[in-house]
Amino acid sequence: MKNSLVCLCLLMTTFLFAQEKFSVSGTIKDKKNGETLFGATVYLKGTTNGAVTNEYGFYSLTAPAGNYTLVVSFLGYEDVTQEIILNVDQTLNFEITEASTSLETVVIEAEESERVSIRKPQMSVSKLNAATIKQMPVVLGEVDVIKSIQLLPGVTNSGEGTAGFNVRGGAADQNLVLLDEAIIYNTSHFFGFFSVFNADAIKDIKLYKGDIPAKFGGRISSVLDVRQKDGNSKNLEINGGVGLISSRLAVEGPMFNKKGSFLVAGRSSYAHLFLPLIEELADDKISFYDLNLKTNYEINENNRIYLSGYFGRDIFDISQFIKNRYGNASANLRWNHVFNEKLFSNLSFIYSEYDYEVILDFIKLDWISDIKNFNLKYDLRYYANNNLKLDFGVSGITYDFNPGEVRPSDPSSSINFITLDQKRAFEGAAYISAEHELTDKLTAQYGLRLSYFNRLGGQAISNYANDQPVVYNEQIGIYEEGEEISTTDYSKSESIKDFANLEPRLGLSYQLNENSSVKASYTRSVQYVHLLSNTISVTPLDVWTPSGEYIDPQKSNQYAVGYYRNFKDKTYSVEVEAYYKNVDNRIDYVDGSDLIGNNNIETEILNGEARAYGLELLLRKDKGKFKGWLAYTLSKSEQRALGGNAGGPGINRGDWYNTPFDRTHDISVTASYDFNEKWRFSANFAYQTGRPVTFPNAQYQYEGLSIASFDQRNANRLPDYHRLDFSATYTPTKNKNRRWQSEWVFGVYNAYARRNAASISFTQDFDTGINEARRLSIFGSVIPSITYNFKF
Amino acid sequence: MKKYIQHIFLFVLLITFISCDDPIDVDLEEAAPRLVIEASIDWEQGTAGNNQTVKLSLSTPFFDNSSDSSVTGASVKVTNNNTSAEFIFTDQNDGTYTTNSFIPILNNSYTLEVIYNSEVYIATETMTPVTGINEVFQSLEGGFDEELLDINITYDDPQEFGNYYMIRLQEVGDLFPIIETRSDEFTNGNVQDEFFEKDDDDDDPDNQFDPGDAVNIKLFGISERYYNYITLLVEQYDSAGNPFATTPAEIRGNCINLTNTDNYAFGYFRVTEFDQVDYTFE
Repeated sequence: MKNSLVCLCLLMTTFLFAQEKFSVSGTIKDKKNGETLFGATVYLKGTTNGAVTNEYGFYSLTAPAGNYTLVVSFLGYEDVTQEIILNVDQTLNFEITEASTSLETVVIEAEESERVSIRKPQMSVSKLNAATIKQMPVVLGEVDVIKSIQLLPGVTNSGEGTAGFNVRGGAADQNLVLLDEAIIYNTSHFFGFFSVFNADAIKDIKLYKGDIPAKFGGRISSVLDVRQKDGNSKNLEINGGVGLISSRLAVEGPMFNKKGSFLVAGRSSYAHLFLPLIEELADDKISFYDLNLKTNYEINENNRIYLSGYFGRDIFDISQFIKNRYGNASANLRWNHVFNEKLFSNLSFIYSEYDYEVILDFIKLDWISDIKNFNLKYDLRYYANNNLKLDFGVSGITYDFNPGEVRPSDPSSSINFITLDQKRAFEGAAYISAEHELTDKLTAQYGLRLSYFNRLGGQAISNYANDQPVVYNEQIGIYEEGEEISTTDYSKSESIKDFANLEPRLGLSYQLNENSSVKASYTRSVQYVHLLSNTISVTPLDVWTPSGEYIDPQKSNQYAVGYYRNFKDKTYSVEVEAYYKNVDNRIDYVDGSDLIGNNNIETEILNGEARAYGLELLLRKDKGKFKGWLAYTLSKSEQRALGGNAGGPGINRGDWYNTPFDRTHDISVTASYDFNEKWRFSANFAYQTGRPVTFPNAQYQYEGLSIASFDQRNANRLPDYHRLDFSATYTPTKNKNRRWQSEWVFGVYNAYARRNAASISFTQDFDTGINEARRLSIFGSVIPSITYNFKF
Repeated sequence: MKKYIQHIFLFVLLITFISCDDPIDVDLEEAAPRLVIEASIDWEQGTAGNNQTVKLSLSTPFFDNSSDSSVTGASVKVTNNNTSAEFIFTDQNDGTYTTNSFIPILNNSYTLEVIYNSEVYIATETMTPVTGINEVFQSLEGGFDEELLDINITYDDPQEFGNYYMIRLQEVGDLFPIIETRSDEFTNGNVQDEFFEKDDDDDDPDNQFDPGDAVNIKLFGISERYYNYITLLVEQYDSAGNPFATTPAEIRGNCINLTNTDNYAFGYFRVTEFDQVDYTFE
């Protein structure tokens, strides 16, 4: 790493002696609604000089003095060209128009932009815009960001009704999910049926499965970067929709004399309206809602302020006995400042929170837990010259963890007040990375992130006999809680433990010819906070915990190589990637571990490791009436935990075993066909090897019950999962020029009514006493849907 | 508590969506048979506690519902480690081994020794006391469904932390008991209450408690280790395969094989005090 730093310094000095060069910079926006465009290409015709707009639509490029034709190009938009005389640094802003006929609109783009996708060293990244996501058939007509990324190679989840997603064999808590830079801790409503992202408020999403740029950190599997729309700065626009599950309304428009804009989007389910129709559920309330807000103000050409927010809730009241509420809240205040043509900066102050509450009336218990964080970060981009761009910045996050408070829900309760230890931590980082064209063919992206984590005091830490929070009971062959011998009190000004890590990131791209390239990358990343979950699916109740005395940060190394090719005039493209990654300090849970309300999690876990490898293929067709992609992944994901300090062989006898996210084969096909002006048809097909599960290998009688005896963890599999969905979109055309535009979306989910197993349970029939295996399918039949969307 | 929460999620999932649940065929591995020791030395409050039974059987393939797995020809002995008194259990040739001379002493330590196929299995446990059932009553309120009858018991939890309970309900005529466990983690020192309610079931109109139904409820004082064991066992029995349940695992009891460590036995040697009550719904 030292070498690359030296290299960097050398390069900086060489600029001073280069021939006279000038810069052109500016912002690219959509002409219709004033939204800044992320990923648009600006290049000088006849040269290899080009730049891509950043997430705020800003670009900067530098070239030797001279006359040029500057071209702005963005997939789905008309190219704009302008003659420029480059003899002085200048600012050029562009507003570009969407390609005229909507039929020709190309909506699938994965960091696509002319030569750049082939040349750019960034690999393992996929970008989807809101239009693409909205076209995919979905369950019950609810457009879903999280479901749409699962159609990409290397991305899966644990089946219907499970929250989160898994990237390249990693756990759900290893994904950094950002909504306008704010960390989102829980990505779903209704236990994973719907995502928390309202597609009407989203501009685009970007998923990094590997080769994570140095500006991101804190999670080791992936980064899902979701950006909200800024709001239409030209006209008032209203988008909405009415579906079976929820209704949506988004209002956006100009503000401050068109110097700014706003967006307010809301979505609310109304399942609770239907419940009273079913007599048994008359007293129940099941619903979710969310609210997205964004506003921005352009102070002047070089300064712009953004404020964005999100608030979402899930509510379940079942009869009078359970009340359950949870959700995320986040806010972000940002200041974009352009120092000059070459230096762009953004300062963000971000708050995010996730909280969970359950009231169990029948045992008169009220349970609350939450996690809160403040994040201050400053990111800069320096467009040094045509061959070198530098990103650098700093970030600081303070965390407050409230793993649980238990209180009696009424005075007659037998429950006592209990508050689990409140935990505090600080996570800081500084990074620098360069995108560097070494030769015409070879481009590198290299960077270094220094991360620091401090588990702050303000709580007591238990000490255990022989320093063993978990002890192997040799006689019985099980792991048991260690004996607590004392506690150490840490005041708020003290540090319990701190960690610092260097995280090098490196990506290389070698262009074979105009249409193909090979890339390679190495990413080291460190994760300091962990979601405690020993259940098969992540539940809303699972709590986050910081690294500290007994939990070390997870560290991952990922190596990837890839081959990329466009053919038939970029109508088709192919991406092939292979990866290998290993993770140190992945916590694993001993058999029978009890995490709920446990103040001493260290007594239930062992320090494990994980490894995953795979081959991913993505074949896309990006142009024409028929568009879509086919994704195939062949992969393996395993983990193990040895006994270590606790003694004994470890979990699962110390053998490697399949993680719940291991899928040998994963095939996804998504396609859409523009039949005519009125009709568009879409389809998805998904096939996955069944999820690893643990089946019994014997039974015995105990307490009058037939007890199933289980063997090696995750050594068996559920039946393979497959499913086909269709949707058809009807756009009435008779009032084409009217302001009010609408469409009907008809959907069929699980078209051939496959009963995919969500789980298989081994039970004893209550009446006959005979043992049987039972399959639970969340969707046992075809699920039709209808949605009406409008816009004016 | 944990179990309730897992069930909530499943419950919400099931009522909300068009789910279905059906039997399927699954090929399973078949492990070699293992000895199962069900040595439950339970002393009812107010009795002599002299009559005790130990059951021995073998594990069988999961779908084997027919074969007789009882174990005969073993020798079974329990020793009081405080008094050195030995109690020999007699083989009844049906898988049970009995004695009528057992002497229960609270908080004394006992060791079980089973010799089967020339291998020696032992386990040690302490007799755990229980306070006893205060009252038993039926109600409509307080349960999951206000239209269904439930039965409640209350009992006192002592002031010090670390008391564990097992409550076993058997309805007359039912094949299976319902077992719940409790620790005083959240309720230390308070009056504890426990209720049972059975669902109404469209397939079985008699499933829920109705006037005239008779039940027996036993409240056991159990050790922490047995609490861990039986809680996990019941949890896996009730919810194996629930997507919100923990990954099921082999459940190891306290019976170890001195002759051949790997050939450990399933089951448990528990020594408890219990109180019981019979109740007929009105």
